[in-house]
Amino acid sequence: MMHILRKATGTFAAPVLALAFSLLITSIILLASGHQPLQAIGQMVDYAAQPNTFVLMLNQTAIYYIVAIAVAVGFRMNLFNIGVEGQYRMGAMAGAVVGGAIDIPAPWHVLAIVATSMVVGAIWAGIAVLLKVFRGVSEIISTIMLNYIAIGVVAYFLQPGRLAEVIQGSNNIGTPPIGESGQVPGIPFPGTNGTIFGLAIVAVVLGVGYWFAVNRTVFGFELRATGASEPAAVVSGVNVRRMAIIVMVISGAIAGFSGLPQLLGASYTYSLDFPSGVAFTAIAIAILGRNHPVGIAFSAFLFAFLTSASQVLELNDVPKEVANITQGVIVLSVVIAYELARRRELVRERKSVSQRLEGSAASTPVGAQS
Amino acid sequence: MNAPAVELHGITKRFPGVVANQDVALTVRAGTIHAIVGENGAGKSTLMKILYGLITPDEGTIAIDGQTVDLGSPSDAIGLGVGMVHQHFKLADNLTVWENVVLGAEPTRNGMLDTEQARARIRAIGERHGLGVDTDALVENLGVGDRQRVEILKVLFRGVRTLILDEPTAVLVPQEVTELFSSLQEMKAEGISIVFISHKLDEVLAIADDITVLRRGRTVASVDPNEVTSRKLAELMVGTDLGHLEPQDREITGRAVAELVNLSVDGEDGRAAVRDVSLTVHAGEIVGIAGVEGNGQTELVEAVIGVREARAGGIVRLDGVDVSRLNTRKRREAGIAYIPEDRTRHGSLGSAPLWENRMLGHQTKAPNARGPLIDRAGARADTERIVHDFDVRTPSVDVNMSSLSGGNQQKLIVGREMSGKPPFLIASHPTRGVDIGAQNAIWTELRAARDEGLGVLLLSADLDELVGLSDRILVMYRGAIVAEMKSIDATPQSLGAAMTGANGEAA
Repeated sequence: MMHILRKATGTFAAPVLALAFSLLITSIILLASGHQPLQAIGQMVDYAAQPNTFVLMLNQTAIYYIVAIAVAVGFRMNLFNIGVEGQYRMGAMAGAVVGGAIDIPAPWHVLAIVATSMVVGAIWAGIAVLLKVFRGVSEIISTIMLNYIAIGVVAYFLQPGRLAEVIQGSNNIGTPPIGESGQVPGIPFPGTNGTIFGLAIVAVVLGVGYWFAVNRTVFGFELRATGASEPAAVVSGVNVRRMAIIVMVISGAIAGFSGLPQLLGASYTYSLDFPSGVAFTAIAIAILGRNHPVGIAFSAFLFAFLTSASQVLELNDVPKEVANITQGVIVLSVVIAYELARRRELVRERKSVSQRLEGSAASTPVGAQS
Repeated sequence: MNAPAVELHGITKRFPGVVANQDVALTVRAGTIHAIVGENGAGKSTLMKILYGLITPDEGTIAIDGQTVDLGSPSDAIGLGVGMVHQHFKLADNLTVWENVVLGAEPTRNGMLDTEQARARIRAIGERHGLGVDTDALVENLGVGDRQRVEILKVLFRGVRTLILDEPTAVLVPQEVTELFSSLQEMKAEGISIVFISHKLDEVLAIADDITVLRRGRTVASVDPNEVTSRKLAELMVGTDLGHLEPQDREITGRAVAELVNLSVDGEDGRAAVRDVSLTVHAGEIVGIAGVEGNGQTELVEAVIGVREARAGGIVRLDGVDVSRLNTRKRREAGIAYIPEDRTRHGSLGSAPLWENRMLGHQTKAPNARGPLIDRAGARADTERIVHDFDVRTPSVDVNMSSLSGGNQQKLIVGREMSGKPPFLIASHPTRGVDIGAQNAIWTELRAARDEGLGVLLLSADLDELVGLSDRILVMYRGAIVAEMKSIDATPQSLGAAMTGANGEAA
């Protein structure tokens, strides 16, 4: 029991310390630029507590969470899908195009859009993993480059006369709107007209599924074993290439899906102002959340808070980029904090093992080896 | 009579939870070779780190050349003429030999690096001590023996009079050991004192002038090598009588559990590493493979377990069934158990708990899995069983693998691979780097399992282990099997001759 408790404090100490440190840095920057840190934080909290903002924040959290899970699946086996942004955009646009072009009864319409987005995301990620497995190309490099190709592809097709049209009454350009049968109704929230995305529910299901698959299935064990030591996994009968392909395709499919809560819950069209950069942020969220389903939920919420609530700072003449600084410092300091915590935990456990073995007469000093 | 080169008195060093050194005394006479022996974890490395200034002792005094000193860091030690060559070399691969040697102690002329002086001094030191090595060669192109010479040159270049060598022979082939020993003799003749740490008792007896034995952090004896045998030394190290491993003459009547037919395997470089090997292991038999490392043993094992592809035409049969086309998982499920040569890299997950390590390699079968799901309760219960039956010293099955000592890790791996009574086991260096207690336990387990019908293919660099455990020994040389003998007929001479190819490749 004590053991579990100590382990839990160890797990939380690192991110909490990192958060405290980044708030300190942010405060110093605010002070240096002539603003009151406590006042700014207070304004953000007040603003976030308003039902309107809160709903926006929850929606943002859901999207961050879905993409971060896509990233975390790969991270667990040391497979770095940095291409989630490209998969997100490609998936969202393909879903919007298909959704706007067809008109079939309700559940099928939505399912067709979901399937399209997931398949496109999976294919986009699949290119990178095939290059890795058969040509030895680092997936970090290829997925980053595929992001730029995706941005180019989306920009090419998002033009009048190709897959998009000018949206009436504006300068905006978007895909033909998705009909009502393809839309997913929102969940009402007391005190505001804004609704929570219907597909936000998927984030919860995904989190539970992720936890179960990683911790309770043989596949998940092999995934973690590959991440912990690839040579040991190979000797244990894990086909690492096959594993990489499966995991990358899953990751790409989830990332391809991640734009849909927004698309089917609010936008109904993929247009020039469709949210971008979301998936990049999610990589940092997965790191902060330590690839753990609950950790990611906390970190997704924190980032959503910083993003949504920082809007209020503008009104009070504080640059909202301060929130970006906070996010950046959190990620940097949490990486360091985790490493320090890991080393301390290692030493602590060795110590505790040798302590608990003492008294058994035949024990040899554990710490004396080098 | 000169003052002793090194005199340690009452050295005690406590780490949280353990006493690594307790009241240790050590006197190294000037101009002698002093060996320190002891099991893994006996406190040898800690003691040497204290002498080299890497660790400060809690109690005790250090005297160098008769002067009591305080060592705060390795540079203090070097300043007083004490240098150390670590077991794992610390060289910059992309620099040349002379650049590595002078790094951090560069000779200068008018503020510029004096390369000519550096080369000349290194050559002079090398010639004087029989440490010849091309000063302009790139270190990345050097073999292990040459790298070690560079490490020693580095220390001598700094004017060291007392040289600590941490397990210097562990990485060397026999011929390089001979060369190292002759260099050490020449250094000794020059008046340099040498502290020599080793596991290999025969080597210690051959080279040392004095021997100090450590056991569980204490000095248990200081002996004269002319008055002890390696058996007596081993007893001092372990503290009990050693169950000596005698080869047994046994009748093998079991069925063939594993057959390799005309197996050829390519190595990393694309050339044949294993050439046309055929062999059979019977139930209840241990077949040993002898050979200098790098003669195809690793590739042979990897091909049998299925992580390296064999050339077309070779066949691996398990209990009469051809498994040559199966992947590693299918082969393991069919009953090939495997104790890998590199415990930490291939055999375990250091950051995972013991019970997850119990699953490794057996993650698809009971008691570890039920269908696609992990059976946590089953795996944990079975880990408890292994911990109990194989005497794995651990407070619980939830601690991480890396917090156990090497011997206890290996006992868990051996227990895991013997679970479920597989027909065939590949044991690759099963006792490498474990203490003598664990070694004896593993030997006993292997023999017991063999008696119950397990067929074992045993690879080992330890000839005593190989001869003592095996029923038959096959000798591999340049990828082929060049000799076969019953282990009761094997002698160090006959094995040595076959391992170096002396009786011809066609044998």
